[in-house]
Amino acid sequence: MNTGVTRRLHGIAASPGVAVGTAYVIDRRKVNIHRRHIAAHEVDTEIGRLHSAVAVARQQLQQIRERIAPEASEHSVILDAHLLMLDDALLTDQTVDAIRNELVNAEWALRNTVEKIKELFDNVGDDYFRERRSDVDFVGERVLRQLMGTPTELPRPADLDGPVVLVAHELSPADTAALARSEVLAFVTDGGSSTSHTAIMARALSIPAILGVADATRLIATGDTLIVDGLRGTVTVSPSDADADAAGERGRRYMAFVRSLRSNRDEPTRTRDGVRITLRANIELPAEAPVAIDHGADGIGLYRTEFLYVDRREPPPEDEQYETYRRIVETMAPRTVTLRTFDIGGDKFSTAFRLPKEMNPALGLRAVRLALREREVFRAQLRAMLRAARHGSVRVMVPMISTVSELREARAELERAQHELTSAGIPWAPVPFGIMVETPSAVFMADVLARESAFFSIGTNDLIQYSLATDRGNEHVAHLARSLDPAILRALAAVSQSAAAAGIPCALCGAMAGELLALPLLVGLGVHELSVEPTAVPEIKSALARIDYREAVTLVGEVAMLSTAVEVESLVRARYEHVFSDLLANGEVGTFTETGTFVLPELLAPR
Amino acid sequence: MSERVEQVFEVLNERGLHARPVTQIVQAASRYRCDVELERDSQRANAKSVMGMLLLVCHKGSKVTVRATGADAAQAVAAIGELFAARFGER
Repeated sequence: MNTGVTRRLHGIAASPGVAVGTAYVIDRRKVNIHRRHIAAHEVDTEIGRLHSAVAVARQQLQQIRERIAPEASEHSVILDAHLLMLDDALLTDQTVDAIRNELVNAEWALRNTVEKIKELFDNVGDDYFRERRSDVDFVGERVLRQLMGTPTELPRPADLDGPVVLVAHELSPADTAALARSEVLAFVTDGGSSTSHTAIMARALSIPAILGVADATRLIATGDTLIVDGLRGTVTVSPSDADADAAGERGRRYMAFVRSLRSNRDEPTRTRDGVRITLRANIELPAEAPVAIDHGADGIGLYRTEFLYVDRREPPPEDEQYETYRRIVETMAPRTVTLRTFDIGGDKFSTAFRLPKEMNPALGLRAVRLALREREVFRAQLRAMLRAARHGSVRVMVPMISTVSELREARAELERAQHELTSAGIPWAPVPFGIMVETPSAVFMADVLARESAFFSIGTNDLIQYSLATDRGNEHVAHLARSLDPAILRALAAVSQSAAAAGIPCALCGAMAGELLALPLLVGLGVHELSVEPTAVPEIKSALARIDYREAVTLVGEVAMLSTAVEVESLVRARYEHVFSDLLANGEVGTFTETGTFVLPELLAPR
Repeated sequence: MSERVEQVFEVLNERGLHARPVTQIVQAASRYRCDVELERDSQRANAKSVMGMLLLVCHKGSKVTVRATGADAAQAVAAIGELFAARFGER
């Protein structure tokens, strides 16, 4: 059902690739409700419609509840609450009253009641309780959809006629997980960011995703032909046949390119002159572990455990965490898995902790600082990690260390966790205990910290933000946040030298590890453990194999004479642009930053 | 026979009457035919309404009156009282 009018929509390229296919729009946003006056004799019919809509909604929720895995108990609790809300007198009685007294249709009465209840929640001073209005909304929407005959559920894959491009307002992790790869060609969503679950899942499935496309669900209709360009961040609605063919061809070329890169998956990562580099993957979801293996990663260099803490009211129970870590550790064995203790606070808000609003969250109560305030929660996580360590090769690292005392206190908690397990008779295994180096103070103290850490892992995103005092999210200053700034290179050199002097490994798991032009410098600086997005592993492995270690060391020496980021960038580009030309120029093979942003080669090599 | 029973309980669990405890209260109250309400600082909520009780916003340390009216009022208050005493299975 092509409208014929071609239009191009823009969004965040959250997963690379190009797909051409038919749109399947799942619109779960607010439905338009029309007010209709009813006659007195219609009142009972309307009330009857309301009750049967509630009954169907109840049945649906019960079915979902049964499908939920028992370990997801937190979700069951929410669904139980939703089920009870369906029958809540506040909702149903008020709606029935409105139908009867105001002589309006059930949809209008229900919508007004929901709005009134939400207003009550809006006036609550406490964040947690105020946020419950979203539960009211959720329940109200479900009944409304039922009343209006619009589907509430994602289509089961069987309902989809052939492979489609899924267009939705937002997809929950459950939605995306339920969709098997064969049925979906690409994702397009109104909301979301490159770090959202949809983005992660799309990359894990190796299908393109464009997120944050304003009004996608309104501008795209089911049946429209779409080009989803995950390399450029565009969605073309109703393209010409020629454009669709060209896009299909680009998609195939990209796939072939990815496949050719992936042919190196079983080869060890080493420089051209044979220096071994350990190339691991950064993951957030357990489902990404097989993806990391599939792309030839040497292990997990960063597992972001925050995912376990978001969208829940209580920190995750120790046993649940243990099972999750264990699954990843067993999947990856014998490869090493680096578990990072929760990095919550700052921009990563979690409802599991009641975090106070802060004027300056990046400098506030976050990561290890929060862990040392919530020591019970911290130790529960450490215990789960120690238990999981029995099932493979595990190391544990603590984020945002800014003083040596913090490291010591964190270690004391680790030791306490070990004692607790021992005295409870629960088996565990010792773990190398390392730190993220991502604050300037940790750089200054790197020599001392190195003596007390089993390894370093440099988090370049925060290190750049704090060292250059620059918020990358602020468009007015973002240009200052350059990873090849001489200040950053000096910091990396200091950290790497301190690690080498203490004989500990120095890893880097920030976005910089995925930047092609940064690689020669990292290799030359002696940072020989890198960790990138799982799907970026083949490309980085291929790039590393073209770098000569001795040349890289020489390059570092030359760069040390330079004074500005632009000078460094020009020199590196002059030396390495031709070396990486296919990676940079094959069109659109870019890299992922730590936050999952797809960086187009144009940005790496403007011409 | 209509009887009226009330008793004051303190919220002991760390996170107060959030969705899970409130769900437990509704499930318990719904097993009885009597009317049950909660009162905190002279605000009231129907103990069979999740939304109503969430809107009461009871934190740890809140003193909550559980009041039941009806034939099985005493059992209802006792059942809900047990939930409070057990901290709703939380810390």
